[in-house]
Amino acid sequence: MTTEQSASWLRHGFALAIGLLMAIPILVAINTSLKTPAEVLDVLSLPASPTFANYAEAWNRLGATFANSLMITVPGVALSVLVGAIAAYPLAQIRGRTGFVIYMFLLTGMLVPYQIVQIPLFSLMRNLGLYNSIPGMWLVHVAYGVPICTFFMRNFFASVPRSMFEAAMLDGCGHAQYFYKVLLPASGSGLAALSVIQSRAIWNDLLFAMTLTSNDSARPVTVALNALTSGFVVQHGTLMAATIITIGPILLAYLLFQRAFVAGVLGGSSK
Amino acid sequence: MAKYTPAPWQRGSTRVYALFLALPVGMFCVFYLYPVFETFVLAFQRWDGLSPVRTDVGTANFLALLGDSRFHTSLANNLRWLVFYVLAPTGLGLGLALLANSLVRGKGLAKFVYFLPYTLPPVAVAAIWRWLYEPSAGLITRVLDEVGLGFLAQNWLGDTAIVTYSLMVSAAWWSVGFSFIVFFAGLQNLPRECLEAARIDGATAWQTFTKVTFPLLWPSTAVALGMSSVDAMRLFDIVWAMTAGGPAYSSDVLATQMFDVAFGRLKMGEASAIAVFMLFVSAAVVLPFIIYMARRVEEASNDN
Repeated sequence: MTTEQSASWLRHGFALAIGLLMAIPILVAINTSLKTPAEVLDVLSLPASPTFANYAEAWNRLGATFANSLMITVPGVALSVLVGAIAAYPLAQIRGRTGFVIYMFLLTGMLVPYQIVQIPLFSLMRNLGLYNSIPGMWLVHVAYGVPICTFFMRNFFASVPRSMFEAAMLDGCGHAQYFYKVLLPASGSGLAALSVIQSRAIWNDLLFAMTLTSNDSARPVTVALNALTSGFVVQHGTLMAATIITIGPILLAYLLFQRAFVAGVLGGSSK
Repeated sequence: MAKYTPAPWQRGSTRVYALFLALPVGMFCVFYLYPVFETFVLAFQRWDGLSPVRTDVGTANFLALLGDSRFHTSLANNLRWLVFYVLAPTGLGLGLALLANSLVRGKGLAKFVYFLPYTLPPVAVAAIWRWLYEPSAGLITRVLDEVGLGFLAQNWLGDTAIVTYSLMVSAAWWSVGFSFIVFFAGLQNLPRECLEAARIDGATAWQTFTKVTFPLLWPSTAVALGMSSVDAMRLFDIVWAMTAGGPAYSSDVLATQMFDVAFGRLKMGEASAIAVFMLFVSAAVVLPFIIYMARRVEEASNDN
């Protein structure tokens, strides 16, 4: 074997070892979630016969909030992506100073740590009557998604050939018609990528949900999992089952739409 | 030279554009500008968050923070996190990307696994790592015991001297995927000719990396560094869900202290003073990055 070949073998072995190391926390969580309380104490063993009792128990505690998370995330993603696209359209069209200033104005939102708005937001949502409600969570996620969604869609629209716009205008299209009938349908890959990163952001959110929900009528699964984790009464097996349930949908989305996921994360951070 | 006349569709466009922008800009004003402004007002008041009475207290909230040892710990921890976030996930991400990019087989699989933890909710990351760190039956202590290094085992999350470092390890596991994917995409887009040329000229692997690959990767590096510092300033979920700032406030960061002072102790004025402080630190760290990014996008769209 040449040195080049053995170096290549070494690299593959090393990459595999790191891959396993990175997968261990998730594998341990799955393993633990399938064990009886007695078996849990030996973390290195495999369950004698996998039990789903932990999942049943976890679902009892999280089921309602899991449904809330779906109710918050699905419309929240659709609306935030739409609003981002609506903001991005004129900003991609206007050449020159005005458009750039408005664009920068919206982008400054990216430097605001979300924690610092929580106190006024808490009062604002109570005054609007939207505290502890699912539509309230839609509104908040759409509003705080404006900077990133605008940034993402503006960059995407800027890559759409301008000739498409001019042809549509010559055919007598108005702006609104062009936007809904031509531009949006032609932007499928961009909308999909942004949807995936917004799904991650909204499904994974803990902070806004802690400030703005108070019980299981609107509370998402992340808050419920946090309550389970920081309480000391729950079995590790049940806790890990609850964790796997919480990460289930986002993991599924990643498995199905890996390409859109990666495109979204890259597009949300750079040109 | 012919006088420029706008095409028929350009007349009246301004009004349509304004209509498009009304909703997003309105939301931005209500949910970003107004709360930030209100936080500045509250920072000079005393308020329990519910009662109609808000008392003006001048700079008392800020002065109280200056003498508060919990605040000093939070601030020091935040700066530690900033240094950590800028160095560790970025450096590890670059290493993983170079490794994955050099693979002949399994490139796709490596990409899938290395990026996976970044997709998970921080609460779930916290739940899993609290179990791994469990001081008697947790994986880390058990593995150390098995290999005869049991004396190295610590009370990972219960020892005030090491708790922040334990949190950093789990945060690195979670966030390395982001830098990895940015660098990996950057490597895939490198112009092949440059690397070929370096090889033909007889450059060593190290020379190729420091003189060719790394400089060409600068845009990816800027993104990874910038986004990492944004994340470091927004750090909350992992700390809150793993230790809630404890034990004895030793793992607090500004955000967790602020949240606890506001919604745990209902001292909205003092919490707002912390928030004002966070905003200034965050702006100083993140603003240069945002300006850089916006310029680059502008240049790119002018090239079209």
